Amino acid sequence: MIERKLIRPDSMAEALGQREQYGKDAMPIAGGQSLLVLLRNKLIDPKVLIDLERLGELRGVQRQADGMSVGPMTTIYDLLSSPEVRAAAPLLSQAASKVGSTAIRNLGTIGGNLCHNEPGADLPPALLALDAVVELRSRKATRKVPLREFFRGYFETVVTPDELLYAIEIPTLPGGASAVYLKHAISAEDLAIAGVAVVLIPDEQHSRKAREIRIGLGGVASVPLRASKAESAVRGAVLNDVAIREAGEIAASEADPMTDPHASAEYRRKMVKVLVRRAILGAIEQSERNGHGKA
Amino acid sequence: MAKLKLQINGEETEVEAKEAALLLDVLREGLGLTGTKRGCETSHCGACTILLDGMAVHSCVVLAARCEGKEITTVEGLSEGGDLNRLQRLFLKHGALQCGYCTPGMLMAATALLRRNPRPSLEETKIGLDGNLCRCTGYTGIFDAIQAYAQDGGK
Repeated sequence: MIERKLIRPDSMAEALGQREQYGKDAMPIAGGQSLLVLLRNKLIDPKVLIDLERLGELRGVQRQADGMSVGPMTTIYDLLSSPEVRAAAPLLSQAASKVGSTAIRNLGTIGGNLCHNEPGADLPPALLALDAVVELRSRKATRKVPLREFFRGYFETVVTPDELLYAIEIPTLPGGASAVYLKHAISAEDLAIAGVAVVLIPDEQHSRKAREIRIGLGGVASVPLRASKAESAVRGAVLNDVAIREAGEIAASEADPMTDPHASAEYRRKMVKVLVRRAILGAIEQSERNGHGKA
Repeated sequence: MAKLKLQINGEETEVEAKEAALLLDVLREGLGLTGTKRGCETSHCGACTILLDGMAVHSCVVLAARCEGKEITTVEGLSEGGDLNRLQRLFLKHGALQCGYCTPGMLMAATALLRRNPRPSLEETKIGLDGNLCRCTGYTGIFDAIQAYAQDGGK
């Protein structure tokens, strides 16, 4: 048996050169909280691991004019301790606080969470609802991909074997917006049976009227997704009980869940209906508490 | 194979390990530090919890090579002059263990919590220990021991 090789580049240029050189034989390792479990159980068997830990430029949160840019090696703990994240994207803080357990949050990273794309991960629905865009780099090119186009299937993304995730850009929500992430799981450290993120941008003139609503779903399809039909149905509408219930029902119809030992597909779908309704109610309450969206 | 220089419980140690070896394997098989328990090996149960630069981590999902230049603390590093430390004695007093398998991990997670937050509320204590499973005590004794430690400020 050939021993697995571990390489630890010191710069982005070096890492991208290695990505190009080793292609499919190599896997990049971020926090390792999921990848090392897959390795131990022989579900994956790369000849080479490219350790991204030494690439300091990939870790940290930067404020930008219209939002913020988060490096993929930023840990969940970093996100939770960042005043910038709390101020500019409290929805991301909410979702980050639900990831795994303390030990996993201490080492797990935002980039690993996205690239691993395990169903039930907490950050994707929140980042989808925030309209995040990711920047991918290879030795030859840089491209930006809206997160909505990033996920391809269970454990699959659009990242090619010569690319690395370089940054996650999160636009700031307009003033008065509110946002809620709800996770349904049996035990706190589990992946979500269903995870729902809702961003509500209320109409300035009319109480309870949604100028825009965004609904991110996790754990209920082969990829995390936006419930765009449900969003269209309530855009511009008065969010009364009937409209909120309808949004939940439409979102549930957009989910395409699987059955696994944690929950049946049918149960997951029902939970989407419940959580979407609760998240919208929570977002309305948050808006009204903040004094926005009142007539 | 690679030669790793690790700082464990205040001492510099050299050990031979595979390049992509996991810290748990290096601690137990490479160095005979069997206080750190092998549990689920999927980062759920927390039996293998150790401190890495003071933070609680599951050593079954940590590359040993990444630990060079960092401070590792295992349960063996808690005792003071060969005696149990105060937190360990409070675990005994409050019946915070039965079979004892989860105990090293619980102690390490509690140590990390108390260093960061010397007076955690019960809720904060539960969050601090959310990566550690116990299948026999029902947790109450463990929370009691930690709360007792916090109330006395560790004295």
